[in-house]
Amino acid sequence: MSPPAAATSGDAPQSSPRELYTIPASSGWFRWDAIHDTERQALPEFFGGAGGAGFGTATRNPRIYREYRDFIIGKYREDPTRRLTFTEVRRALAGDVTLLRKLFAFLDASGLINFSATTSSARPARQQQEAGVVVEAPVGLQVTPRPPASYFAEEKKGGGAESGFRLPPLTSYNDVFWPGRRLYVGSAVKTARMGSLKRWRLLVNQTTDGKMNQQVVKESSSQSTEVVDGMQIDVKEDSADKSADEHPTKRRRLFSSVDATTSLMEQLALLTTATSPDVLAAAADAATKVLGNENPQARKAFRRSEREYKNKAFSSNHVQKSDHKVGDQDTEMQGQTFTDKKQDKNVIATTAYQVRAAVATAIGVAAARAKMLADQEEREMELLMASIIETLLKKIQYKIKHFEELEAIMDQEYTAIQEIKGSLINDGLTSWGKHFRLEFPYREMKCLCSCS
Amino acid sequence: MKTVSLGASRPSAVSFRMPTRDNLVPIRVDIEVDGQRYRDAFTWNPRDPDSEIISFAKRTAKDLKLPATFVPPMLQSIQGQLAEFRSYEGQEMQLKEKLCLSRSVANLNGAVNLQIDLRVNNTVIRDQFLWDIGNLDSDPEEFARTLCDDLNIADPEVGPAIAVSIREQLYQIASQSVSIMREKVSKKRRAPEFSSNSKAVNNAVDLFKYFGSKGSVIRKRKEWYLYEPVIDVIRNEEAGGDGKEELNSSSRPNKRLDEVKEASLQSL
Repeated sequence: MSPPAAATSGDAPQSSPRELYTIPASSGWFRWDAIHDTERQALPEFFGGAGGAGFGTATRNPRIYREYRDFIIGKYREDPTRRLTFTEVRRALAGDVTLLRKLFAFLDASGLINFSATTSSARPARQQQEAGVVVEAPVGLQVTPRPPASYFAEEKKGGGAESGFRLPPLTSYNDVFWPGRRLYVGSAVKTARMGSLKRWRLLVNQTTDGKMNQQVVKESSSQSTEVVDGMQIDVKEDSADKSADEHPTKRRRLFSSVDATTSLMEQLALLTTATSPDVLAAAADAATKVLGNENPQARKAFRRSEREYKNKAFSSNHVQKSDHKVGDQDTEMQGQTFTDKKQDKNVIATTAYQVRAAVATAIGVAAARAKMLADQEEREMELLMASIIETLLKKIQYKIKHFEELEAIMDQEYTAIQEIKGSLINDGLTSWGKHFRLEFPYREMKCLCSCS
Repeated sequence: MKTVSLGASRPSAVSFRMPTRDNLVPIRVDIEVDGQRYRDAFTWNPRDPDSEIISFAKRTAKDLKLPATFVPPMLQSIQGQLAEFRSYEGQEMQLKEKLCLSRSVANLNGAVNLQIDLRVNNTVIRDQFLWDIGNLDSDPEEFARTLCDDLNIADPEVGPAIAVSIREQLYQIASQSVSIMREKVSKKRRAPEFSSNSKAVNNAVDLFKYFGSKGSVIRKRKEWYLYEPVIDVIRNEEAGGDGKEELNSSSRPNKRLDEVKEASLQSL
């Protein structure tokens, strides 16, 4: 967890609620009010050459560096979803463009800017890379501590009063991307000690892309598929049963697994059942394959277990069920399998491998599911954005209509006033006319009188 | 006379080279043979053996389907420009200047204002920015590539043209600084400073405003437009007779460009 200073804009006054930014963990060293050694090493020009100890020159010194840096980061944070380009920044900064470009590249590479920009126009390489690290992404992200509830309440009040538009809760906003949840997955990956994370990543990508169904798996790894055939069938049956049993809604399932008191394995098992059978099968396949590659004994064990499976299908069924019941009934199940297979000495090893494979499968499936949820959330976000924009447009249209009405009313009033004005003038004229007519004869008479 | 010493950590004079990371010389070829014209601009590594030039010229003529009569003048042009570059080599050039407010000194710590004003095929691009000629780690090609990426310029010829334009200006400044050094050493007369003195003074004062202890390196918002690239795309029919690359460096009059730009605006 990061100290809040790292993730919030320190320049903001303390009284107002601070703006929260989620920044990559790799850039957690950053401080607004200091210059870290990383910066000194990456850009020695500003700090008096290679050592980074001096004060530089008039155009290159720590003060100038901080001005550049703070401006660029501030500029990016004006709209974190947009990719900030060097050409855009450079017009506002006086200085050697070569040096500025180096500085910009450093900030970009170290995740101080453009870390959550989505509108990257022409960077396919970067996008690919992003897809490649899907499994690790949660671990690499740093989440700021949850601000006090009052902060949210304030925000909600303000938003609700203004537009009267309430956003439906996102599927995974609360439960999947909450730090606690994510840490579970992260630590699970570590504890499993698979050592072949790359393969997992590959697998997860493939499965979620929908490119990899069971057929493909079989073709690509015909050797190992034979080995795990029994396992696949088992898993499929199992999950099919479960889903046929209850068909719980996604949210319910998620909430059931949110509970932090249940064990990790139980949560994994629940997540496992939540995905489709072919994802599960692919995960299982990859798990056995990786295990086999890691340890030739494991492969042997699986082959043996397959033979056994053919002989007595139900015995390995127990083992497979461990996938879903590892948590509380762990010891109990172990005992069962023990009694089932006491006759063979090597069985213990086999069981261990199978449990390992099952755990790996569960983790893989969980990861695949996480990615699916992320995708889903993205779609939901897009939808929401679209609806927001639509409502805003409607609002604007209403306003325009309103103004048009106002204009019509104004016009009417204007004509009415004009009429009144005309009639007033007429009245005045007639009254003046009357006055004159009344007065002139009188004057004439006066004149006549005085003349006479 | 107020004198501020700058750039203490840098050597004040180095032997002549392009003030960039790669010592590449900008070459501009403009030859006309039998009514056919060939204009081109590229960079050349002066360390390459001269035998490369002839093969390059032959190859270029072949690729562009030019008659073989183009090869000798092309060769001559490139060799002449390389010879000029080499004539400067071995001499010292000054990269660092002291900022004297009362004297006309063009650059602060070697930072000069470069201007780009180019028309490449159908793209017109204008830009200006500060370039530190004392920064021997600079890379015009990389800069031009970033610019084109950021602005989504699709024409692949624009980037190299910008880079060559930058190199030409740097080359000019570097060769001038060699002559300044030469004259300072011989002490015959006061060295003429860079191109225009009044402008240079303003430049230096401007820079002091930015980098002085009370200044800020962040430009005022209303000045931003001066330092951002402006791009115009001209439609084909307005591009004029020669569809070939036309490069206008800042030294050339901008009239033509303005006319072209106006024409494009009127058509809109």
